[in-house]
Amino acid sequence: MRAAKSAYPLRWRIMDAMEAFAAFIWPARFGRAIPWLMLAPALLLVGLLVLGLIQIGDASLRTLDTTTFLMSESYTFANYQRAFSESLFAAIAWRSLLGALIVTVITLILAFPYAYVMVRTTSSITRKLLLIALFLPFFIGQVVRAYGWLIILGNQGMVNEALGLVGVAPIRLLYNYWAVLFGLVQYMLPFAVLMLAPALMAIPEELEAAAGSLGAHWVATFRHIVLPLARPGLVGAGLVVVTLSLTDFAMPAILGGGSQDFIANAIYDQFFRTSDQGLGSTLALLLVAVGSLLVGLVFTVFGAGTLAMGRARR
Amino acid sequence: MTAALSKTVILWIFVAAVLVLLSAPTIVILGASFTSGNIITFPPDGFSFKWYAKIAASRDLWQAFLRSVYVSAICTIVAIPVGTLAGIALAKYAIRFEKSVQIYLLLPFTIPLIGSAIGLMLIFGEARILGQLWPVGIACCVINLPFMIWAVTASAASLDPDLELAAASCGAPPLSTFLHVTLPAVLPGVISGALLMFILALNEFLVSLLLTDARIVTLPVQIYNSIRSIITPDLAAISVVFIACAVLAIALLDRLVGLEIFLKSK
Repeated sequence: MRAAKSAYPLRWRIMDAMEAFAAFIWPARFGRAIPWLMLAPALLLVGLLVLGLIQIGDASLRTLDTTTFLMSESYTFANYQRAFSESLFAAIAWRSLLGALIVTVITLILAFPYAYVMVRTTSSITRKLLLIALFLPFFIGQVVRAYGWLIILGNQGMVNEALGLVGVAPIRLLYNYWAVLFGLVQYMLPFAVLMLAPALMAIPEELEAAAGSLGAHWVATFRHIVLPLARPGLVGAGLVVVTLSLTDFAMPAILGGGSQDFIANAIYDQFFRTSDQGLGSTLALLLVAVGSLLVGLVFTVFGAGTLAMGRARR
Repeated sequence: MTAALSKTVILWIFVAAVLVLLSAPTIVILGASFTSGNIITFPPDGFSFKWYAKIAASRDLWQAFLRSVYVSAICTIVAIPVGTLAGIALAKYAIRFEKSVQIYLLLPFTIPLIGSAIGLMLIFGEARILGQLWPVGIACCVINLPFMIWAVTASAASLDPDLELAAASCGAPPLSTFLHVTLPAVLPGVISGALLMFILALNEFLVSLLLTDARIVTLPVQIYNSIRSIITPDLAAISVVFIACAVLAIALLDRLVGLEIFLKSK
């Protein structure tokens, strides 16, 4: 008996029991459903967001009764009328859209050379340093980074103190549109570079060498070889940057100082300042719609780029 | 030769500009945290650890930090099994409606963060679980889940399906095959994904802002609330905690899977 026990260790017995259990709860004939079973938890978790959207949709159809501060029982489209007719919201939407576009253009222009050098450099130390410089702010979070900019750009901040040393009067660098855009570009750079790098990695270096040996100037090589081939990466990066900066909350709130609200700030204010859940939900749903429209448009025109998951991207 | 030189120079001018832009806040916060003055000035007012002593004594800040760690732990613990299974399923099997499943699983990225946060706030409110910390962890997990799935699919794609068949033909039952062949192959992806989830949840601001109340604020929200009133160097000192966590995460990531994994073209 003892001999048998040592020949068949406990670990195997446990594995056997687990196999039997697995076979019991999931017989082989269900095999076809295995992928779905594996996906189920993820589908359920993301389902929370869908439920949330339904809740937002429901709330957006109810108006706030200003005498009782309760939401109305009946459905109306009054919130949507307000969202589209009040000039305040149009101004905020315009400010956010324009800002997102400017931020995207600047970010891509800055991120592309960085990603290119990072991918093409022959020195592994340079590559590692560039990667670390990229990941550090990415991992530090928006609030802390915005706080850093407050120290640098504030009225008694570093830039103004330094200007004071050479006799220049303090300039108000914070709490304006450009401060918000500046903060957003810095926030978006790591995302953009990380989306661009794999696309650039996929471009064979020999192509550039070939263009060069045929007499193309490096600018021409860049324009006609690298940029077109990097399109999936540019699409992915542009998409991520546009949607993230369009919907950002922290940078406008901290660097804009309340005077440069983006859409997300307006939604937040509706919920927590005016307590008008209905109007806030309406704005949130409209933002979701605009965001999805942008994503959908770019997907159908350019394909999913580097955003695709799993088998489809091979 | 001059053409090659001009290319190098122009590219590096851009790289240098980006490096300054990326690193300036971090460096300034590090510098400001060691100041001995009461306000942040340039040039700094001498060197001291007094702001570190002050935050070490501040119960509020430490509790907020511990709450952030708790939220990140919940997020990571949930994300590891969920993301790993989904990632393997997406990478290995030809699923019906695969396109739709992918679009669905990308919802956390396509729905703006403020939309997700408000939606979750409404349903958590309905379920009467607002005001607790674990729903914040679940929320952080949901909004960052695609990162975890990407990380896993990236390493599962390099798993040769023949290996699993070989294991099976050697008599390994399905569960053993999964545990001894499939799982070790995707482990680098699981590790990098889990690290990413943890550090992103640690820094998560907007979702925490909406899902927490004054009793249970996480550290980023605590910092945000203090920024609005006054800028003192103790905030710089507590921000250094985040910088330290980021450095640790990068070192771990580099050690375990190598940062270059993020450059791989799929």
